[in-house]
Amino acid sequence: MNQIINISTGQLLLALVFILIAQASSFIYHLGLNRDITIGTIRTFAQLFLMGYVLTFILKTSNSFLVLSVFMVMVVSAMFIIKGRVKEKQIPYIIPTFLTMLVSYLATAIFVSGLIVGITPWWEPRYFIPAGGMVIGNSMSALAISLERLFRDMRQQKELVEMKLSLGANYREASLDIFRNAVSAGMIPSINAMMGVGLVFIPGMMSGQILAGTDPLIAIRYQIVVMLMLVGSTAVSSVAVMLFVRRRCFGSGEEVLLTPL
Amino acid sequence: MTPLLEIRNLSFAYEGSAALVFDRLNVTVQEGEFILVKGPSGAGKSTLLRLICRLNKPQGGSILFQGSDITSIAPAKLRSVVSYVAQIPQMIDATVEENLLMPFSFAINAAKPRPGKEELHEMLRKFYLGEVTLDQSAMKLSIGQKQRLAIMRALLQEPLLLLLDEPTSALDQESASMVFSIMERLNTDDRKTLITVTHIDFKPETVTPLTYTLAHRSLHLNESDH
Repeated sequence: MNQIINISTGQLLLALVFILIAQASSFIYHLGLNRDITIGTIRTFAQLFLMGYVLTFILKTSNSFLVLSVFMVMVVSAMFIIKGRVKEKQIPYIIPTFLTMLVSYLATAIFVSGLIVGITPWWEPRYFIPAGGMVIGNSMSALAISLERLFRDMRQQKELVEMKLSLGANYREASLDIFRNAVSAGMIPSINAMMGVGLVFIPGMMSGQILAGTDPLIAIRYQIVVMLMLVGSTAVSSVAVMLFVRRRCFGSGEEVLLTPL
Repeated sequence: MTPLLEIRNLSFAYEGSAALVFDRLNVTVQEGEFILVKGPSGAGKSTLLRLICRLNKPQGGSILFQGSDITSIAPAKLRSVVSYVAQIPQMIDATVEENLLMPFSFAINAAKPRPGKEELHEMLRKFYLGEVTLDQSAMKLSIGQKQRLAIMRALLQEPLLLLLDEPTSALDQESASMVFSIMERLNTDDRKTLITVTHIDFKPETVTPLTYTLAHRSLHLNESDH
């Protein structure tokens, strides 16, 4: 049971049948997704193979500088993905978002690998990189949702925010509802995932561990830690980023800087 | 005597535009004055009011309130004494009472005495809103009722200067007359200092406002009106 069955190159290519089905669906129903499916497939192969080789190298060398460099590359990549999704030109949100992501993700990954799993050293790549990857991947989507919501609502509700400012509200009071909605919009997917886990779906990490031969009772413990870690890191990074970016939506006189597009 | 408001060499252009809306504009407002600012659409009348309460930022010049540069006053503090009512009245999705008491939920007004229900009823009557109840939804009021409610709400925090941006532009004749009458009473009975921008020819009966025309990027006093 504990023996891992390797997937040969031929078997891997056989999995492309799923992509052919997706391509056929797009073609027949004119979904316009053929190009994206092709690019997505190529990127999946290229990025994961690259990651596989990098991880093999890092696991062999076990060098803290290399581990943290990989972590840094993951955060920078996440920032670029967020930048691609959040089309905001007026408010400079990139630097505060990046710095907050870096600090909060690093703190979460260290907490999980160093304290909860209790591995020594805390940057042990076998634990630190997957933990970091899951935190970054999950929070990245949350941040993109929160930022989009923040900028959209600030624009749509500009008159309402200005009405509150005109009645003596400071910028925090005037934008409190918008702030709350933006943070919760980003957090809801992680909370919903906690509701469905184990019933509706078996998470990827746990599936991977079970496929690799780990006792399911150990795998679920790891998965519980992961789920809690994802909710916590999403909350911390969303709140912190929204606090910093919201301030940037207001000028020195606490006037709303966003103008309708 | 220190003027209530003094605007010195004010210059302003919209972001991304080189064209100046105001070029070295000057005006002084004394306590208790009723200022009417007239001018064609797009002359910058609303922008002038927004600059006074820092909802927009000027490119040059200074605005002094009671002798202090407004940039040296905390924005919330300034706006609790210089209250701006926008052209389109904004209400939160709540009752009339919650809308009226909203200013008191902000830290800057927390120490100010909250008006009781009786006081609010009395004020509603004075603002020709006797038929409005405190527990009804503010969102369901007509635009004219909302405008009067917005002016009333701004006054509840006892501002020293009230800035009214085209308060009658969206209203029918009857509602507009009510708002004009309220403005007159605020100045004559309550000694409130008002700056109202309007493009409507408003001839008050009980008060003689100082009327300025906004043209050629500056304010010009209409001597003939006095």
